[in-house]
Amino acid sequence: MARHEFRLPDVGEGVAEGELVEWLVAEGDTVTEDQAVAEVETDKAVVDVPSPYDGTVAELHWEPGDVVPVGDVFVTFETEGDGETAESAAADEETRSDQDEPSEETADAEAGAAGEGTDRVFAPPRVRRRARELGVDLGSVEGTGPSGRITEADVEAAAEGDTEPTTADTEEAVTAEPEPQAAAETTRDRTLATPATRRRAEELDVDLDAVPMVEERDGEAYVSTAAVEEYADAQAAAQVADAATVAAGEDREEERVPYRGVRRTVGEQMERSKFTAPHVTHHDTVVVEELVAWRADLKDRAAAADVQLTYLPFVLKAVVAALEEFPYLNSQLDAEAEEIVLKHYYDIGVAVATDAGLMVPVLRDVDEKGILDLAAESQALADRARDRSISREEMQGSTFSITNFGAIGGEYATPILNHPEVAILGLGAIEDRPVVEDGEVVARKTLPLSLTIDHRVVDGAVAAAFVNRVKEYLADPRLLLLD
Amino acid sequence: MMVVGDISTGTDLAVIGAGPGGYAAALRAAQLDVDVTLIEKDAVGGVCLNYGCIPSKALISATDVAYEAATAEDRGVYASPSVDMAEMVDWKDGVVDQLTDGVRRLCESTGVHVVEGRAEFADEHTLRVAHGGEGQGSESFEFEHAIVATGSRPVELPGFAFDGEHVIDSRAALELTEIPDDVVVVGAGYIGMELSTVLAKLGTDVTVVEMLDEALPGFPTDVSRPVQERAEALGVEFVFGEAASEWTETDEGITVVTEDADGEESEFYTEKALVAVGRQPVTDSLNLSAVGLETDDDGFLETDHQCRTAVDHVFAIGDVSGEPMLAHAASHEGEVAAEVVAGEPAALDQQAVPAAVFTDPEVGVVGLTRAEAEAEGFDPVVGRFPFAANGRALTTGDTDGFVRIVADEDSGFVLGGQAVGPEASELIAEIGLAVEMGATLEDVAATVHTHPTLSEATMEAAKHALGEAIHIRNR
Repeated sequence: MARHEFRLPDVGEGVAEGELVEWLVAEGDTVTEDQAVAEVETDKAVVDVPSPYDGTVAELHWEPGDVVPVGDVFVTFETEGDGETAESAAADEETRSDQDEPSEETADAEAGAAGEGTDRVFAPPRVRRRARELGVDLGSVEGTGPSGRITEADVEAAAEGDTEPTTADTEEAVTAEPEPQAAAETTRDRTLATPATRRRAEELDVDLDAVPMVEERDGEAYVSTAAVEEYADAQAAAQVADAATVAAGEDREEERVPYRGVRRTVGEQMERSKFTAPHVTHHDTVVVEELVAWRADLKDRAAAADVQLTYLPFVLKAVVAALEEFPYLNSQLDAEAEEIVLKHYYDIGVAVATDAGLMVPVLRDVDEKGILDLAAESQALADRARDRSISREEMQGSTFSITNFGAIGGEYATPILNHPEVAILGLGAIEDRPVVEDGEVVARKTLPLSLTIDHRVVDGAVAAAFVNRVKEYLADPRLLLLD
Repeated sequence: MMVVGDISTGTDLAVIGAGPGGYAAALRAAQLDVDVTLIEKDAVGGVCLNYGCIPSKALISATDVAYEAATAEDRGVYASPSVDMAEMVDWKDGVVDQLTDGVRRLCESTGVHVVEGRAEFADEHTLRVAHGGEGQGSESFEFEHAIVATGSRPVELPGFAFDGEHVIDSRAALELTEIPDDVVVVGAGYIGMELSTVLAKLGTDVTVVEMLDEALPGFPTDVSRPVQERAEALGVEFVFGEAASEWTETDEGITVVTEDADGEESEFYTEKALVAVGRQPVTDSLNLSAVGLETDDDGFLETDHQCRTAVDHVFAIGDVSGEPMLAHAASHEGEVAAEVVAGEPAALDQQAVPAAVFTDPEVGVVGLTRAEAEAEGFDPVVGRFPFAANGRALTTGDTDGFVRIVADEDSGFVLGGQAVGPEASELIAEIGLAVEMGATLEDVAATVHTHPTLSEATMEAAKHALGEAIHIRNR
């Protein structure tokens, strides 16, 4: 019998760790090669980890709920043979080199162009010590120093689970488009200030680059002494508030839940969106009696084709028809290039609530597809998102999004943009509501609409006009046929 | 096992061996409020301070005073100094005493408990220390942690047992009170070459026998070449590709027989044979099995990145834990082990350990050579600056050699350096700092260096790698 230590492979694309959801085998079980032994959740998805061997499970090294670093011993297997055969040695070697690769790649990509195939990490001794103190693997930290050298700040950021690689992945997973402007806004590496201001900043232990800029001078951020003092006060107040929260929590029962995986991805994405784009939400209501009747008529016909017909495909068609008329709502701001990118394709993201959190699969080329196709496709994507077999690519690159919170209940909301998109339409529940017709209050099926726009790109008047057009299509779906 | 008369003392940390590794470990641990007992069988400071690095450098420097004075006629200096070897060795001993006293006082003032005696493990948490001399008895120490820092001793060549008179080791060579007429030095490694150089400068006829085919094997050839040439100019005769096989005593001294690869024998008539063919770890006296440890086939203890042995609470540092067998590596390991014992997250994570050879000219190396950088997957770029183009070197009359810097071409990160020439042992420190900091060629090149100094050669080498050298033609 030979024992093999199986290390957790990179189960995503460049992920550094995964949370063990559950073991699919027990110690002593016989396994075959490629049989799934565990479910591991990364910040992208839940994946099955296959056994690389035919043999028995000798030891499971982690408990469900543990966050396992990629490359750590995961399972010990026992296989037939004396362990020194060329074959098993080769298998070991293969497994090991498989796992070595990601970290090397990471180190390469992140440490700048520090030579191909080398895993040396460039960081001064003080930074290496800090990494050890914080338990940070330097190989997984992206250096922001000269030539990609790792700085103390990089290590501290990594320790807070705020590493650039994660953020970058997150961005791709949910929104697809890179947006250099965000990075440019959150950090500055140069700030203009008078010597007196600099001295004041030093006295108050304030990082000048972190102080919100007062104005721009010669293309550089300028801050005043007053701004520095204001920032220092705000920081101090925040600390007091934190301390108060902690103190208050001491004698109350609390539970700490890891902020990881999909939850963290969603959180980071929301934070970036809300702090980057000035949001405005426009609310309106449309009477959808006709739409409700249409859908009721067509439902059985669709069911015959094995498709569950919802209102969503109609809304998709209405939105795309309106977008064709209002191209700025189907765009993206490239702040660095000082250009607005108008997209002449209509890939619509549809928010789906899953057990793990919010996911936004994308329906491609909605303008070219029929109602039935859209119904079938949206259903399939939502199912795959819920069982998390959906791929990253299927959640990238949308140009406009729809969130159907009404499916759960409610009328109006203030949706957050699916950054870097500039508009998102929220759908309330279709219900009988009082409507005034010809001076009489009558009950009508109505659909509340909540359109959030990025006010940098879209003005309120345009948003209102767009919603009016969507309303027309939804109020009288026949108009869709004219397109 | 308790023996009648044994006294048992408890200690958080027992450090065995007070060489540069052991005393650094003890001092660092004491700084971190660990209760430390430092056990030394011979002399605080170990081989390095007492019989190695320090005394050899003292003799080399003192000899250079005489040698320089006697060989400066081209600079208008005429002198015929005479050397009193006994006085020189006395002075050297004074230097050693000053240093070892200093270490002892440091230990006292820092709260390290120094115990004299030979330690061996009695069980997993007990050391027995036998005090020197008749009737001195022994005592036991119950330790939480132990650091093995027992260092190394010279390897004895079969047939060449050290007798202190005809066949001597480096330690005995540093205690000679008379300058020998002739010496056969077996081994052209760094110890053999340092001693050959100093003896040749004192007027001894030196023959160096080396199995391999060049001096300082293991160093790049262009680095060792100037050392070998200077030695030859001093009158050192090299016999390469031959091994010393036996010796016999004669009326006037000894005959050393060497043998080449074909079994061809040669004979050398000489006063003494100085054998410097390497060093081996001192682990055989420790009764390691009592603590659950065994050494590898060469007597070394295997350790991890925190200097921990296979037994969790026992650490090993310095020569006993393998290459590089260098004092400064031992000191660094000692500090790391002490910090780990004190619960700090220390680890051996240095990028490079420098090495120096105090021959004439000196050698200093750190980090990777071009070939090693390539082997590690880098795309290296190399810059080199000869001392012949350095103003300060010209003013000292010593212009052999160069400084070379190796970096990754794309990122500019400095990966290593090699220097041979005046003060190369000092100059290499700057490149060591660059390697450790992750400094780039531009960082070194753009640092203003004092003129006129030898250190400008390092700056110019970095500029040369960037194609920006001022005083030589760029690539």
